[in-house]
Amino acid sequence: MAEKPQAVRVLYCGVCGLPAEYCEFGPDFEKCKPWLRRHAPDLYPDLLLKEENETDADKAARQLQSVAISGSGDGAGGDASSAPSGSASASKQDEVKRLPGGKIKKKEKQEVVIEKIVRNKRKCVTVVKGLELFGIKLSDASKKLGKKFATGASVVKGPTEKEQIDVQGDIAYDIVEFITETWPAVPETAIFFIEDGRKVAAA
Amino acid sequence: MFKKFSLEDISAQNQVKASVQRKIRQSIADEYPGLEPLLDDILPKKAPLIVTKCQNHLNLVVVNNVPLFFNIRDGPYMPTLRLLHQYPDIMKKFQVDRGAIKFVLSGANIMCPGLTSPGGTLDEEVLEETPVAIMAEGKQHALAIGYTKLSAKDIKTINKGIGVDNMHYLNDGLWKMERLE
Repeated sequence: MAEKPQAVRVLYCGVCGLPAEYCEFGPDFEKCKPWLRRHAPDLYPDLLLKEENETDADKAARQLQSVAISGSGDGAGGDASSAPSGSASASKQDEVKRLPGGKIKKKEKQEVVIEKIVRNKRKCVTVVKGLELFGIKLSDASKKLGKKFATGASVVKGPTEKEQIDVQGDIAYDIVEFITETWPAVPETAIFFIEDGRKVAAA
Repeated sequence: MFKKFSLEDISAQNQVKASVQRKIRQSIADEYPGLEPLLDDILPKKAPLIVTKCQNHLNLVVVNNVPLFFNIRDGPYMPTLRLLHQYPDIMKKFQVDRGAIKFVLSGANIMCPGLTSPGGTLDEEVLEETPVAIMAEGKQHALAIGYTKLSAKDIKTINKGIGVDNMHYLNDGLWKMERLE
């Protein structure tokens, strides 16, 4: 019993539920402050002391400061620098937006895209796109996939007349290894997952 | 991975049979030797052990409605942060610098530079693909649980890109799920 380490009681903030020392990174530090002052005054000594002693004059001064800062910030952002950067970011966004929609761009790049589609709560289909770009016969591939994972796999006409392979079941996890092993022409870096509508590299 | 996690993501809850219970207990004991004397407190033999299956092959080990451990597929069991806070010394620790805290708390994976900079520390013995506790500079408690992608030595030498995958962090879905019903 003696060597049994004791459970540490961690002080959790009553407002945000984080350990009190992480309140400053929490969702709403301002709201936590009154609670912290009461329950954990030693954690943020400088901050809370300042707050307590803060007189109206201080507050006013701080407000003035913040106004001044924000004002100067606006001034800096308002001139030449903001315009080009804004346009650049806009064009970038356009590119990103165009990619998922326009399949033409994908054709240029050789990559395999794997997507998991949930059919109902616990069943799903794994869709593999782009294998043909590596000179792989889709009918062959679907047969191999079906055999390997012991499920149904079929070549399906996907959106925009492109063919893809539908494999029943969730095999997204194992499929990367299988693809790279059976078709050495496909590098692991060319395989991507789609997660929450975002493209994520497999490797 | 717990960024969005709620009761809806749970697909099945089962009270597992004794043999499975023993297996889980054994693998947790193997993995966290420091936890062994406490295991009877954490996982009482009498209380029913419930394994909750969630999407993406995630399993939660639940006792008395409190999630205690989780694992993916047949991977290693990792304690939840609430449990880790109680027994902070059961896991190997990495420390990130202060600048990284904010990103880690919004779910980002831990990048090597945050671990190698003056504010961070590494446990040299850690190999790749092991669970670690992520501590933070100037903080007492863990802020995340990670799964190393590189060994500690590699993190030091490569010093670029993702070093540790962020599995579970403060204020994510699992953190908010204090009790399961």
